[in-house]
Amino acid sequence: MTVLTLFSLAVLACRAEAEVVVVLNSGEGTITRIDRQTYQPMDHFYVGREPHHLMSLPDNSALIVANAVSNDLVFLNPKTGDILRRLTRISDPYQIGFSPDKHWFVANSLRLDRVDVYDAHDFHLVKRFELASMPSHMAFSPDSSTVFVTLQGSDQLAAIDLHALKVKWIIPIGKTPAGVILTPDGKHLLVGIMGLNEVAVVDYKTAQIIKHIPAGKGTHNFMPEGDGRHIFVGNRSGDTVSIIDTQTLTITKTFPVPGGPDDMEVSADGKELWITNRWIRQVSVVDLSTDKVVRTIPVGKSPHGIFFEHHAARQ
Amino acid sequence: MMTWFETFMNGFTLTQAWVFEHCVNPLLPPLGLLAYQEEAFDATEFALVGMGEIALLILFFRPLEALFPAERWSGRRGVRVDILYTLLHRLGFIPLVMFVLMWPLTFKLDAWLRFHGFIPYTLEDLIPALENHPLPTFFAYLVIIDFFSYWLHRFQHRLEWWWALHGVHHSQQTMSYWSDDRTHLLDDVFTATFFSLLSLVIGVEPGQFILLMMIPRVLQSLAHANIAWRFGPFERCLVSPHYHRYHHGVGTGSNSGQLSCNFAVLFPIWDILFGTANFSRETPPTGIADQQEGRNYGSGFWAQQRLGCQRLWSALTLGKA
Repeated sequence: MTVLTLFSLAVLACRAEAEVVVVLNSGEGTITRIDRQTYQPMDHFYVGREPHHLMSLPDNSALIVANAVSNDLVFLNPKTGDILRRLTRISDPYQIGFSPDKHWFVANSLRLDRVDVYDAHDFHLVKRFELASMPSHMAFSPDSSTVFVTLQGSDQLAAIDLHALKVKWIIPIGKTPAGVILTPDGKHLLVGIMGLNEVAVVDYKTAQIIKHIPAGKGTHNFMPEGDGRHIFVGNRSGDTVSIIDTQTLTITKTFPVPGGPDDMEVSADGKELWITNRWIRQVSVVDLSTDKVVRTIPVGKSPHGIFFEHHAARQ
Repeated sequence: MMTWFETFMNGFTLTQAWVFEHCVNPLLPPLGLLAYQEEAFDATEFALVGMGEIALLILFFRPLEALFPAERWSGRRGVRVDILYTLLHRLGFIPLVMFVLMWPLTFKLDAWLRFHGFIPYTLEDLIPALENHPLPTFFAYLVIIDFFSYWLHRFQHRLEWWWALHGVHHSQQTMSYWSDDRTHLLDDVFTATFFSLLSLVIGVEPGQFILLMMIPRVLQSLAHANIAWRFGPFERCLVSPHYHRYHHGVGTGSNSGQLSCNFAVLFPIWDILFGTANFSRETPPTGIADQQEGRNYGSGFWAQQRLGCQRLWSALTLGKA
């Protein structure tokens, strides 16, 4: 067999296995799988009640879909769409995350003012925190010692010590905080403040806000561009997405994205940004060479979480 | 090529998004409600579906009432107040108030239970075969909720204090397709409390079938319509306007205590099973017997609410509404 034939087979193999994008339609409890190459929806199926967020297992063996109202976690094979198993009796898992050391699995219960810390190995509940109110998004410190949680209803940012399993501090952060993310250098937290249309920069070691970065209306959620420097932030009420330079802590660019831009993913090659458009049942694809929406893909009601198997670096 | 249904849904989605982004969302920050943006988006949908539902009622049921009236009236003046009740309910004002009032029950109690190790069940937890089958689950909820609605309705007649409030609904002497939502606000509170507690036991039905969710509400409007319709061989399957009119009839169903019948909301099977069905062909006038002796239940919204409270007080203190 010639090298050329082997190469052709390899190309065919790659083509045969579509690169899958998974979108959660929280308002109808379904998943839409999309072929990233053709931009065509592949299938659409029921997964549970109010699936909002999803993430890969630390060993990438499955994708976890958190069904908030079904009180369960669904383990999904994103390539085939097969449901591998359903872990029931997980209380209201809205936003989920694994600590970087893969020791903890944290689930925020936005509806019921709870943050649940599970052992990531067997998903048994270790500690349940009552935090008023509306625990929304989360981020972990690089050393996995702390999880930071925005409290959307009480305008606060909380830090939970995962070693001592105690609330370390809670600070006022601004009206209706949403997304929270660590800067690539690990020094600061960025918090999307929906009610103030800005990003608050927090020195989490001193629990101090050190800067306010004006952004767009309804500053909501983040996604790193993958270059170790820039981070996208969606402005859900203003229908725009901005780019933050984390070295200068300034907004460098803002471009329009329709219909309530929410969760985002960046392709591994850094060429495309995919965004769920919460109010219009669509996913937008932005060409990052022009920062323009080049495609919209119909999905289900109230699309929220989105996942690429092959995505840009998360920092 | 899009189907008509896809075209309709696209149009609805864009309308909802436009109304939300231009009329509702801008109000949230000044009202301090931005944290409830997603709930506000759902409420926008509820209101728009309610508008569509009311349009359908007028379009279909009004001509049917003119063509096949069960009763002939000299005018429709008595119907007007029921239009207000319908708008308040189906455009979401009263459901919104109930949602806020029930918050401690549905969320705080739920959260408290979970903090003490109890995670409320859904129907799929109790019947695993329903897992991954949202449509059968939706219909299972429809039947179960209808069963509990039947029993709730029986208690609305059986308990004197509850009948004092439920009398608002039964006092309509010109019952039409607008009359379904004519209820006392305290009656709404008790009903909402009951169903909030029930939701802690069996969960809430899958919410994605927004058009299907219209069907029971439209059927309940039809059941109250002034239309001389029986459903023939299906009379025992689905509550017809005639069947429900008999429940509202003076001296037939519109009574407190045990002298009532036809309590079913959607499916008469509950009346048949529990011995309260009456498939009489008679068409009695609607209202409450003591109205014919001059008792006033009020003609306007506030008068009906005030008099309902007075009857409740009498029932609680004197034992008679």
